[in-house]
Amino acid sequence: MLTNTKDIQQVMKVVGTSPVRPDGVPKVTGQAQYGADYSLPGMLWAKVLRSPHAHARILSVDTSKALALSGVKSIILGSDFPEHPFDYVGPERVAQNYWHMTRNIMAREKALFEGHAIAAVAATTAAIAAEAVSLIDVKYEVLPHCIDVEDAMLPDAPLLFEDMITRGVEPAPSKPSNISKRLEFSTGDIAAGFASADEVVEMSFKTAAVHQGYIEPHSCLARYGADGQCELWSASQGHFVVRAYTAKLVGMEIGNLLVHPAEIGGGFGGKTVVYVEPMAVLLSRKTGLPVKIMMGREDVFKSTGPTSGSSMTVKIGVKKDGTIVAAEGLFKFQAGAFPGSPVMNATMCAFAPYIIPNVKSVGFDVVSNRPKSAAYRAPGSPISAFAVESVLDILAKKIGMDPLKLRLKNAVKAGSPTAWGPKHSHDGYAETIQVLLDHPGYQKPLGKNQGRGVASGFWFNGGGESTASVHINEDGTVVIATGSMDVGGSRASMALMAAETLGVPYESVRSTVADTASIGYNHVTGGSRVTYATGIAVVEACNKVIEDLRLRASLMWDTDIKNVVWSDGYAKPVDPSVGNFEPLSLKAIAGKRAVTGGPIGYEASTNAGGQAPGFSTQFVDVEVDPETGHVKILQFVAAQDVGRAIHRDYCAGQIVGGVVQGIGWALNEEYIYDSKGRLSNAGFLDYRIPVASDLPMIEAVLVEVPNPSHPFGVKGVGEANIVPPMAAIANAIENAIGRRMTELPMSPPRVLAAIDAG
Amino acid sequence: MQAEIAATPVKAVKVAFTAGFSRRYTDSIREFDVQAKNIRGVIRAMNDLFPGLGETLEEETSIAIDGVIHEVDYTQPVKPGSEVFFIPRIEGG
Amino acid sequence: MSKHHVTTVINGDPVEFLCQPNVSLLDVLRNELNMTGTKEGCGTGDCGSCSVTLDGRLVCSCLVLGVEAHGKTIQTIEGMANGETLHVLQRKFLEHAALQCGICTPGFLIAARSLLERNNNPTEEEVRFWLAGNLCRCTGYNNIITAVLEAAREMRGA
Repeated sequence: MLTNTKDIQQVMKVVGTSPVRPDGVPKVTGQAQYGADYSLPGMLWAKVLRSPHAHARILSVDTSKALALSGVKSIILGSDFPEHPFDYVGPERVAQNYWHMTRNIMAREKALFEGHAIAAVAATTAAIAAEAVSLIDVKYEVLPHCIDVEDAMLPDAPLLFEDMITRGVEPAPSKPSNISKRLEFSTGDIAAGFASADEVVEMSFKTAAVHQGYIEPHSCLARYGADGQCELWSASQGHFVVRAYTAKLVGMEIGNLLVHPAEIGGGFGGKTVVYVEPMAVLLSRKTGLPVKIMMGREDVFKSTGPTSGSSMTVKIGVKKDGTIVAAEGLFKFQAGAFPGSPVMNATMCAFAPYIIPNVKSVGFDVVSNRPKSAAYRAPGSPISAFAVESVLDILAKKIGMDPLKLRLKNAVKAGSPTAWGPKHSHDGYAETIQVLLDHPGYQKPLGKNQGRGVASGFWFNGGGESTASVHINEDGTVVIATGSMDVGGSRASMALMAAETLGVPYESVRSTVADTASIGYNHVTGGSRVTYATGIAVVEACNKVIEDLRLRASLMWDTDIKNVVWSDGYAKPVDPSVGNFEPLSLKAIAGKRAVTGGPIGYEASTNAGGQAPGFSTQFVDVEVDPETGHVKILQFVAAQDVGRAIHRDYCAGQIVGGVVQGIGWALNEEYIYDSKGRLSNAGFLDYRIPVASDLPMIEAVLVEVPNPSHPFGVKGVGEANIVPPMAAIANAIENAIGRRMTELPMSPPRVLAAIDAG
Repeated sequence: MQAEIAATPVKAVKVAFTAGFSRRYTDSIREFDVQAKNIRGVIRAMNDLFPGLGETLEEETSIAIDGVIHEVDYTQPVKPGSEVFFIPRIEGG
Repeated sequence: MSKHHVTTVINGDPVEFLCQPNVSLLDVLRNELNMTGTKEGCGTGDCGSCSVTLDGRLVCSCLVLGVEAHGKTIQTIEGMANGETLHVLQRKFLEHAALQCGICTPGFLIAARSLLERNNNPTEEEVRFWLAGNLCRCTGYNNIITAVLEAAREMRGA
């Protein structure tokens, strides 16, 4: 008797399979429209003038020659955007300060990084816009700059903001600095903890800034009408968030801005913020014509948020039997030109997989003359994990314990404490370790210059606001809509959950992403939240529909609603005493919808909670070439607790994708700056992400420990997989050649230098 | 004669904050016992103790109820004896 | 700069366009001809998203001038399916979840077809090296390689 979806959790018909996704054919035929694929009649093209200096006062901007160029319709500067008061608003971990944000969109008093937008031109062709950009005359007073986080923290470092006083320090410092914030999470007694340890290891690490590396540059098309209504086509990870930021930055009401979700060519966190949208909207308002902006690849590297580079020191103490008794971490993160690095996440995630009674985790958020950092897949956690998981490896060797078993011994589960306060609420971590201990690859013999390394990682995963609507078409097929951008196949997962809940075939459910005027609010597609939170909204909407279908059937049978059950996609009498009624399909009921109350459809919204964090444990085998320092990946096995895999192939795809980004982060990727603070490698040739010939097949192992708070047991899968790879590879290199790499990336020249250093 | 209804003491809800948050907003006191049936009640109780704190809690935090993370939602029920921990809100990428 | 008149054949159809001599074939395809299936990822020939074939040769269209296409045949992603029938590579990409965001997919499909036209039984290593000029940031390449190997198998009738 199925009146409640929780009953069907045991026997899944469609959830857990791997059907083709609804946006699949458009994407393999080139028909899918991404941010740069839209045009409108009369459209103008916009190009952006960007600072060639890492740090400079803007003395004057002369646009007269550019404006005189035939075909140029409008030029905007930072001063054309409304000013905002200096105020941190919103959650501390990701506080927004619109005074900073408007300046990140376009500079005002100073250029704070090479690539900082100074002006934007809209013209009838892209070529004219580009020529106009070259005719804008800017007078700069070049200032000394700082790039590296340690340099930015020095007492005599050039200041980006002459009035920046470090927050989180009591008493507040009297002098300004580049340190935006200090934060700390502690528990227990660190000194006593280390005193009780048998082995203590302390080590320092450095990581470079890396870019999310999405293949699609930021692009959008804006059409602002004389009636104050604006439409925006934008590739982002959250069109509602784009609407909110853009409206505020341009000075318009949210309700007057309609954002269409273009397909997105990768985001990984970097497209949860806006860069080009406010410029396009403002230019469209001024010209009365649609305006299209597409960023070039060089601008993407120079002007959009990579993640932070860092300088870290981690100290961990263990007993001979492997019990971790104390852990201390100092994490200094570069935020880029404006505050807001993910250092708080890093300080919280660093020791989160382990039960440790004495912890002190301190973080610094530091500004320097490089683009403002943006979220990158489990922001902050992969960076601190590089340090922590490396130190654990050294300790495991010192006490002669297998590194997976060391982790298993201290693994958190439901009820275990955290350093920042509340208990852990879910199991799943230990299972990811065990599955690797049992994996045949873990026992595979290794040859000369080969080594194996392991690491684990933790990420919070998100819940939050989502809305979904479900409608039954006249022919009994189903259309569902959410406001969650689809980056990796979530339309298919929503359809699977709807099909399972309603009891109908997957093929009868059409799954779409609706624009901001057609569905209620949805938070970003990020934080591994969509299958979880939007899934909950979809299931709730389906449940509402089911209740209505029962009512319609009861009207059709002229009986009480309590005599009708919904089972396997049909309305059925609860037992034969109700009457000799044939089961009613969606099609049959839809056919009678007019006389039973009209169209059948419901919307459900949620502010979802109860999500479970992500744990991933991984091992990797490498071979190091002693003559070149090149590191080859021989075998990579990544286990992650996904709760329940709604679409198995897409879950595995997330794990493999995150691991490969981690491999790039570990072995090659970094921002390289010259002595003038300019980026030397602002292109895919020299910012080298992994290519197919670098890699073997990566093995993803899906561990399923269901989350009872979700109707299907889902745990977010997108992010935790990028947390371990860098440390796992560093540990493998150490096993291969006996050298401990403490700086990322572990590129061939660095590995070679470590080998030669003896 | 009116029957006496003995009031059974209801176990308090423990409200907790991180060290940094408590230093900024609750005079460095990290834990409180309040009477509340749902998060609305918890917020009202804390706002009574520290006027203005309620809005900060709504805007800037998530909560962990006996370890399970939730958004701040007035209607979220809270059982007597459970722990409500206000933590920095989570965002991902 | 005045525009040149270019005559070409694209996906089997005769096409004429005007373009300035310094405009790339990629920009012509996308902005003059509204064929937005071919993508710009970098504009400097490093990512392969703009892959097309020019007289049967696999090229980055961002590195080809529009005027160079004069008198030549071009194949783009829009011509890969045959009406309603997907090319076997397109089918295999869908079946094997070889795309996540899909922005690199047109480039990979054009490049993979070019490989299979030359070598209908490539090894995994040969596939990986042939496709090393196509960047994917989402999938880690696992499923792309599998899809290409499976397509080759089906095309051989094996």
